[in-house]
Amino acid sequence: MPPLVTASRSSSTRARSADDTVGSSWADAPCPVLVVDRYGTLVQLNDAARLLLPEAVSGNRLHETAPSWLSDAHRKIAGGPGEAPATPLSGSINERIVLAHPTAAAGGDVVWWLVDDTDRHVAEEAVRSAQTRSQILTEASSTLLSTLNVPRCMEVAASMAAQHLAEAAVLVAPAQGRRHPLTYAPRGGPVVQVSRQIDTHSVPGLPEALQGFPPVPARWIDPSVLPDWAIPEGFTGPVGSVIVTPLPGHGVPAGALILLRSSTEQAFTEGEEVFARLFAARAGAALSAARLYTEQATITATLMNELLPPPLQRVHGVQYAGSYRAAKDHERVGGDFYDVHPGSDPSRETLVVLGDVAGKGLDAAVLTGKIRNTLHALLPLADDHQRVLDLLNGALLNSRHTRFATLVLASVRRRAGRAQLRLTSAGHLPPLIVRADGRVEEVPSRGTLIGALPIVTAHTVETALDQGDTCLLYTDGITEARGGPLGDELFGEQRLRRVLAECGGLPAEAVVERVQMVAAQWLGTGRHDDMAVVAISAPRTGGLSVVDGRRGTGRKDG
Amino acid sequence: MTNLPPTPFTVTTDREPPTLTVRVAGELDYDTCGELVDAVVRELYDAAELRDVRLDFHELAWIDSSGLSALLMVHRHTSAADTILHLDHRPGFLDRMLRLTNVLEHLTATADHDEADERNGDVTEAGAT
Amino acid sequence: MNDPAMSVALQNRLWRAVADGDEYAAVDVLSKALSEGLDEEALLLDVIAPVQERVGAEWAADRLTVAQEHAATAINERAVAALAHRAPDGARRSAVRGRVTVACIDGEWHAFPARLVAETLRLRGWQVDYLGAQTPTQHLIAHLHRTNPDAVLLSSSIPTHLPTAHSAITACQAIGTPVMAGGRAFGPDGRYARALGADRWAGDARQAAAALEEGFARPTPAALRQAVDDLPHLADQEYTMVVQSRVQLVRQALADLEDRFPAMRSYTSEQLERTAEDLAHIVEFLATALYVDDTELFTSFLIWTADILEARHVPARSLLAGLDILAGQIRDFPRALALIREGTAALGGRPARPVPGSETPA
Repeated sequence: MPPLVTASRSSSTRARSADDTVGSSWADAPCPVLVVDRYGTLVQLNDAARLLLPEAVSGNRLHETAPSWLSDAHRKIAGGPGEAPATPLSGSINERIVLAHPTAAAGGDVVWWLVDDTDRHVAEEAVRSAQTRSQILTEASSTLLSTLNVPRCMEVAASMAAQHLAEAAVLVAPAQGRRHPLTYAPRGGPVVQVSRQIDTHSVPGLPEALQGFPPVPARWIDPSVLPDWAIPEGFTGPVGSVIVTPLPGHGVPAGALILLRSSTEQAFTEGEEVFARLFAARAGAALSAARLYTEQATITATLMNELLPPPLQRVHGVQYAGSYRAAKDHERVGGDFYDVHPGSDPSRETLVVLGDVAGKGLDAAVLTGKIRNTLHALLPLADDHQRVLDLLNGALLNSRHTRFATLVLASVRRRAGRAQLRLTSAGHLPPLIVRADGRVEEVPSRGTLIGALPIVTAHTVETALDQGDTCLLYTDGITEARGGPLGDELFGEQRLRRVLAECGGLPAEAVVERVQMVAAQWLGTGRHDDMAVVAISAPRTGGLSVVDGRRGTGRKDG
Repeated sequence: MTNLPPTPFTVTTDREPPTLTVRVAGELDYDTCGELVDAVVRELYDAAELRDVRLDFHELAWIDSSGLSALLMVHRHTSAADTILHLDHRPGFLDRMLRLTNVLEHLTATADHDEADERNGDVTEAGAT
Repeated sequence: MNDPAMSVALQNRLWRAVADGDEYAAVDVLSKALSEGLDEEALLLDVIAPVQERVGAEWAADRLTVAQEHAATAINERAVAALAHRAPDGARRSAVRGRVTVACIDGEWHAFPARLVAETLRLRGWQVDYLGAQTPTQHLIAHLHRTNPDAVLLSSSIPTHLPTAHSAITACQAIGTPVMAGGRAFGPDGRYARALGADRWAGDARQAAAALEEGFARPTPAALRQAVDDLPHLADQEYTMVVQSRVQLVRQALADLEDRFPAMRSYTSEQLERTAEDLAHIVEFLATALYVDDTELFTSFLIWTADILEARHVPARSLLAGLDILAGQIRDFPRALALIREGTAALGGRPARPVPGSETPA
């Protein structure tokens, strides 16, 4: 604030007396000072004011000399009660921003103290645009990080770049095979993604930017050398300025951004270049995270596909249905498995296997894969369950660990309207049979678990399913499900038997669904282990007549 | 059923040559079974003066397949160290699991006499091979 | 082509086949209808869907056992599968519209409505990833990251899955995938779908297809939010407290019921468990009504349950006793108490049906 001068109230004569009342203080003031009479005539001005308004001389009319914001304000004050406004006036005079403080002087004159505020204004502008940019960066980060899908991430990055950095953006991803995924984003237009063979050398700096290391700065390039593929469709008019900026990934190159502006827009300022670099860093980080995630997810999905149980269907007049509910714990891939190996013709047995590997996680899952493959190879020997188990045991024995499996083998063949079964349990929960009338029986097969002891023994039980009977193979995930209305109780074998008792005469799918559903209800939202169920049913109606999934509708197959 | 929190898993070893007693309390499962194997192996490191390893399951609350796998591993180690494994105070669920998987005999093959064998009248599903 | 009279005639024929457990007859009905020129979508939505509705209604009226209901559903499901596999691959419909994911909320095992929607959308030219019943939210999210669909359709039939549905909806939106909710759980007019912040609600498969064809925008990061942002009443913690003390509430209520009805002392453990399950259901619906802050969710459950019980010759006043006992246990929860009061009133307002010969609670 300038030194304030109080107006003299005693002075009532209208005279050129400003000097008397304010002394010489204003004349020496470092800030520009104007003394203006009540009619808007410039009475006096100091040296600083002459620098600010070089044209002005005493006697000028204020509104002809100074900008209207000042002369209007003067008119208001001089004509009114003469009170200073609560907040200082501000405006520009000859490209400077000034604050104008009026004080009353003798005879209705007003002394205008003009304080140069340009630097503060510039600083505030800078802060404001920095805030806007950091807001944009924050928004970019949260939008980019919300997805782990690579194409979506590229779409978001390109369209945000087109919105905030340039009129159009082209995101060039590292090549997949020979083609580069390209994402075109004109400002306000639809994003287009294509995969194309391009010559990266046709854009100066692009090959380096795509290599990702050593780090290269964003690079200005001559718009006239830009190849056609690097200009998005819908980008009208000549390209004015182009910048190529690398997207730094975490150890892997994430791609490069080509930013385009038309000739009518000004080129990038230094601040914008820094901003573009910051944006690129965020986009690169998000893209490389998405890429790493996708690689991992693809590997996992491929492995899981190998390990997932197959869809089951009717084979040679016998119904098979299975269901598998993996443990909720995401990273703990399951150790339950089942397979149905159809006999080569209806006179041959179909081999069903359901089992459970001790432990959890990928180790367990990998072992299930090994067991399933080994059993597949042993199919020609399936007539002799003991032999199959001996060979499987030998294949799994390992001096380093005692990870074992328990499993049930079931050989099934339809004969004279009944399904003949040979069942062998290798340390597994005994199969249950529900007869068409609802009686539930346990199959008394017993045997040694597989893969931990040098010698295994097992004995096979033969039985048969009449029409409407179902044999259920299941893992302990069902019987050891904890929950129930009173909490933390085991589902247990008794409850399973009760559920089965209601399932006499049902098709295999319905039995499986019923068992899984009741177990799921029992669990509620509780944690659980893998739960696998396989049902083998002799269909109720004689005409085993329905759909064979492989062959389409409405054909009779039995 | 009660609302008491589950017994925390603990392994306590008590070395009184020629016997090593290992008390297992709580749930022996995927998350805890490593501790049991480690504890036994540590004590067996100097097995010269040991003849018997007794696992005491009096306070065992639950066992899963990983737990059984750990028992098989413990047995490998005790056999290698020429000691005799005993599975004492087996709860019904443990006994059922050992019989279902047909490993009871294997795990206690060289033990003449197990306490638990005498109290197994209540086990309904007697195993058979 | 899609003549209502023809649909009804087909429904009746399919119903007979399904109720008889005759899978062959069921597929035969559909094959004939197709060969007579009825289109697949009409078969799915005007014939199979109403028959499945009827399966549920017949079970509620105690004219089908729960096992028969499963058998009938299994046959209906196979009929849908047969339709889906009917046409030669590839030649028929390459997906031209876009990609969507259809899944049931975790815990929801009623997959049939979601399956119908998935097949309808396939017929309309969408590439559909159908994840089936009980899809854990984290599996769903991983799938969305992998496939980046235009939208995800979440189905739920039982209202008690609404809290899980809510976390699934917000999780999908947080990764930029718009959510359409459907299924009975979300209320007859989709009000719970709105309350939980779903981008769209669809009352049936045709509405779902129409909404998708219209298209809807991806949620922005501003959609990132927590449950309490959508449902500010959750701040009173009543939902949390009731859920956490669910087991104790049921145990205590069971004990109190035994005091009131000494006949219960001679119940078999199975009967006791059924009673405990009924009580657990009441508590679950109470908690869900607290979650969405909606009285009707609770009262309509109670009335439905009373109807089910009476169809099975169990007097519905056992429900009133259960409510009364629960009210005594949750005295400190004003919203929950108000719900129980409304529930009691709603049950009292029902026309009572005479139930012969039973004196025991559910």
